[in-house]
Amino acid sequence: MINISLETGLLLAGILFFMGFLGVMVRRNVIFMLMSVEVMLNAAGIAFVMAGSHWHQPDGQVMFIFILTMAAAEVSVGLAILLQLHKHYKSLDADAANKMKG
Amino acid sequence: MEKLDIISLIPLMILAGASVVIMLMIAVKRNHQFTVIFSLLAFAASLISLGQLSSVLPRQIQSMMLFDEYALYFMVLLLISALIITILSYDYIKQFNENKEEYYILLFLGTLGAGILVVANHFATFFLGLELLSVSLYVMIAYLRQRDVSVEAGAKYLVLAAASSAFLLFGMALVYSQAGTMFFPELGNYLLKFQETTDIMMLGFAMMFVGISFKLALVPFHMWTPDVYQGSPVPVTGFIATVSKGGIFAVLFRFFAELNLYTFPNIMMLFMIIAIASMFTGNFLALLQKNVKRILAYSSIAHFGYLLIAFIAGKQLGLEAASFYLLAYFVTILGAFGIVSLISDREKDMDNVTDYRGLFWRQPWLAVIFSGMLLSLAGIPLTAGFVGKFYIALAGVEAGELALVIILAVNSVIGLYYYLRIMVMMFSPVAGPEVAINKTLYRTSMSSLAILSLLFVALLWFGVFPQSVIDFIRMVVVL
Repeated sequence: MINISLETGLLLAGILFFMGFLGVMVRRNVIFMLMSVEVMLNAAGIAFVMAGSHWHQPDGQVMFIFILTMAAAEVSVGLAILLQLHKHYKSLDADAANKMKG
Repeated sequence: MEKLDIISLIPLMILAGASVVIMLMIAVKRNHQFTVIFSLLAFAASLISLGQLSSVLPRQIQSMMLFDEYALYFMVLLLISALIITILSYDYIKQFNENKEEYYILLFLGTLGAGILVVANHFATFFLGLELLSVSLYVMIAYLRQRDVSVEAGAKYLVLAAASSAFLLFGMALVYSQAGTMFFPELGNYLLKFQETTDIMMLGFAMMFVGISFKLALVPFHMWTPDVYQGSPVPVTGFIATVSKGGIFAVLFRFFAELNLYTFPNIMMLFMIIAIASMFTGNFLALLQKNVKRILAYSSIAHFGYLLIAFIAGKQLGLEAASFYLLAYFVTILGAFGIVSLISDREKDMDNVTDYRGLFWRQPWLAVIFSGMLLSLAGIPLTAGFVGKFYIALAGVEAGELALVIILAVNSVIGLYYYLRIMVMMFSPVAGPEVAINKTLYRTSMSSLAILSLLFVALLWFGVFPQSVIDFIRMVVVL
């Protein structure tokens, strides 16, 4: 088994997280924003798994399973809302949904 | 798991069970009225089972949840708010064509999430409670799917809240990677042993605070608040303002107390800046709004800024002040959104300031209740809001945070302006061709009216005779 140091793992997770965050900020299509959020969540999952293996505890992996479950629930709800959004605004552009201002 | 653990969990199990029972009831036969009666009974049952708990307190369940009197106090607060929201929701939602029964499933799951947050003292339960709350909220916000603003608000909240959850999670992972534990008391021991924290750990805490500040709508993570408040069905807005924010505030306070983060000047400085920015931003932006829901959204940002003063003051007095303030704020904001929800109809929510022109001449009692709530939000004496603010100022002075208390006073004056603007509108005479006073312009209903009157009485009671409540809080709320 190859030994990966905690710092390397956290760095990888950090880069992934940052890429996901950048996606949420830059992308205008809501589907892509949702995908970027998934990347962020999975980055947090990697960080948990790395930390768990560093301390030789199962807790990190348990948290990862929680994150997977929650992300699945979130996406199913999210896609349903996006369908409605598309029905009302005929577009998935985040800038199109701007009926509320002030 | 022991028998006493099961007994402690009964209040939460009733909430979870009720959502499943409603699902089954929908499969058999849809009946809105029956669902609501069942929901009220389930909330009441959960409250009663909480009463049974007081003999087994405090009870730690497998390094996951801690049932103590502090948790009990907040749980009672959340459950009563949820009960009131159920009644308000019934009157609001019955006018719509959408399926109505599923709404109550979500209400139960959201309340369950907030209940778990209140007892959480492990990252896993913290996360689970928060997500249970958030995912139910996504659907509740977008529930009126015929309205484009409702769906728009749901989509906005979905993307932003999910991103903020990711921040919270990543922060938790970083803290865990350094400390090797996710259990609050053990984290506290770790911090006590190593006074010097690593940079990664500090980064972890900072990311966690991003996630929490987002859910509490603190500046600079407040952008979603006005849109979501405006777009949601009115009772859901009330739910966000009370149950959702209350649950998260409770866990934040516990997190700070158990880890004793008060000893880190950096973190306290950060929260001080957030508190000042929230107060000013909330109040100044509220001045520019013409929509009552948006005004209340910005005012909620300011109010959580005030609440942060009690939080920064910390210790027993700060905790008491925050507990009382939350109670007063819940009563007030439920009353305010209750009025908006009561008079809103199918076509549109009565959320424009001009919609309230002459409310007093058509529905005097509603106008009086709404005025009481607005005065309490502004912190005028004889209302609960005044006592809450006074208590916070007291805690601030005691902790030597004079600057914050002065800013609180300045902001209360700014806030007065936009609350009074709504009031002036309500008492100004009906203009032009509408002179023939049309009472049916506003909807009304007995059950909502009764609950709003009750809230009004509570508001005055807490404002005029706060001593009994304060004594009670002093007795139970200890961390």
